[in-house]
Amino acid sequence: MPRHLGAKLFVAALLVFLFAPVVIVVMFSFNSSAELHLAGLSTRWYQDVFADPEAMQALKHSAIAAAATAVGALALGMSAALALMRVPQRLRPIALGLSALPIAVPGLMIAFGLAVLYRQLNFEQSLGLTISGHVLIALPFVLLTMSSALDRFSFSMLEAGRDLGASAPRLYWSIVLPILRPAIEGAALLAMAVSLDEFLIAFFTAGADTTLPMLIWARVVRGVDPSLNALAALLLIATTALALLAARRTRPRW
Amino acid sequence: MPHGPKLLTALGLAPISIYYALLFVGSIGIFLAYSFYRFEDFDFVPAFQLGNYGDVLGSELYQTLILRTLLLALAVSVVVVTVSYTFVYLINFVFARHRALLYFLVLVSLFSGYLVRIYAWRTLLGAQGVVNEALLTIGLIDRPLRFLLNGWFAVGVALVNFMIPLAVLPLHAAMANVSPKTLEAARDLGAGPVTIFRQVLLPLTRGGIVVAFAFVFIASAADVVTPTLLGGVQAQMVGTAVQAQFGTTFDWPFGAALSFTLMAVVLAVVATFGWTMKAATR
Repeated sequence: MPRHLGAKLFVAALLVFLFAPVVIVVMFSFNSSAELHLAGLSTRWYQDVFADPEAMQALKHSAIAAAATAVGALALGMSAALALMRVPQRLRPIALGLSALPIAVPGLMIAFGLAVLYRQLNFEQSLGLTISGHVLIALPFVLLTMSSALDRFSFSMLEAGRDLGASAPRLYWSIVLPILRPAIEGAALLAMAVSLDEFLIAFFTAGADTTLPMLIWARVVRGVDPSLNALAALLLIATTALALLAARRTRPRW
Repeated sequence: MPHGPKLLTALGLAPISIYYALLFVGSIGIFLAYSFYRFEDFDFVPAFQLGNYGDVLGSELYQTLILRTLLLALAVSVVVVTVSYTFVYLINFVFARHRALLYFLVLVSLFSGYLVRIYAWRTLLGAQGVVNEALLTIGLIDRPLRFLLNGWFAVGVALVNFMIPLAVLPLHAAMANVSPKTLEAARDLGAGPVTIFRQVLLPLTRGGIVVAFAFVFIASAADVVTPTLLGGVQAQMVGTAVQAQFGTTFDWPFGAALSFTLMAVVLAVVATFGWTMKAATR
């Protein structure tokens, strides 16, 4: 019997189980039949999606939300991460732990909490409100990515720059930003992935500004729609690609 | 540089602090306040009364719903933590050469479509779904298994499926505390697998186990999408009921009370689990 046969089977089975739903959606999105058995290869469902104004509108809303979330979360997250560099080392984990709370609290609490808050403030539901919520849940990812990059940051570079007479803005612009650029890009990509994938907050704050997950939800609830798999596959491919790119950028040591 | 001007530090931290205070603390605070409001003529009347909580706790329907939700979340957490722990152990000590790739593969699935992954199980588990068709083809069954979709089975499977990466993350971090040399030493001293697990692995990875359990338990107990899409009429959870209060019934104060009751019970379970683990590995 080969070595570690049981262990190999376990790992293989786990990976198959993890990726089964993803593989199924992508497979059926290229299926030429509308039935649940595989017939032949076809891109007709993708053509349907791209010819569908509702889907294109949702795609546009999702793209806007993702971009705005990345910008918002980066602005807030970067200024916080840079300030954290100045905070004594032993206090940093506490600050990071606090900032991670929005991902520890279930989506249900955040989504309904925001719905209640915005109703109380008499804000009309719109994509802007959704973006504000997406920034909140993307911030922990941005901060964690940025701070792990800052942990590896060598302060002697700054000392050297200062000794050579560089001003504070110049130090940030010429030393800090270039070194942190991969982490910043990685954080932005993760923030976009988080926003693209988010459903519950959007559902309760976006109103008529339907996002891609909202459209998928509406069509799943309505019933069988063969172009659904293509729509879902597009979302899947976009979020996975963003996460993969983010991982390449940040090169975590796993 | 770590001790630069205090003003600059405060200025850098101010925007995010204000943002969290307004949107995070603010929204959850007002959500909590709503749970004490009165619901009259489809309007929310500010008040401080415990009637909504009384309605939740006094109703047999909601007691059952909360209990069922907790039991399912508990079952899901036990399965997820056990499977993830085994996986993390294997990639660290058996397949250490491929650790990076295997860990990465699991983590990627954390970002690959929450809603899409759940809905895919309808294609997999339906009466004409992939699993039933496969079982029919190989002749294991002669008519489709109906219990696969629209019930506890589908909800459980889908929850386990997307919770695994969430548990692998803290468990993998905790497993870094265990050096292969320690395991080797224990083995050389004659410890069997059970002793090694109880005396070496468990104490060193306890923190990770508790965090993984907490993540998975909280997230499954409060999930909305999975029971709605896969639960059918039978397998409904608290999340579905809260959503119904917000969507169709429009009794937000009751929905808020239901949410906070669930959170309180869930946190109590997590705390109990943490204490038990601490006592067991002392």
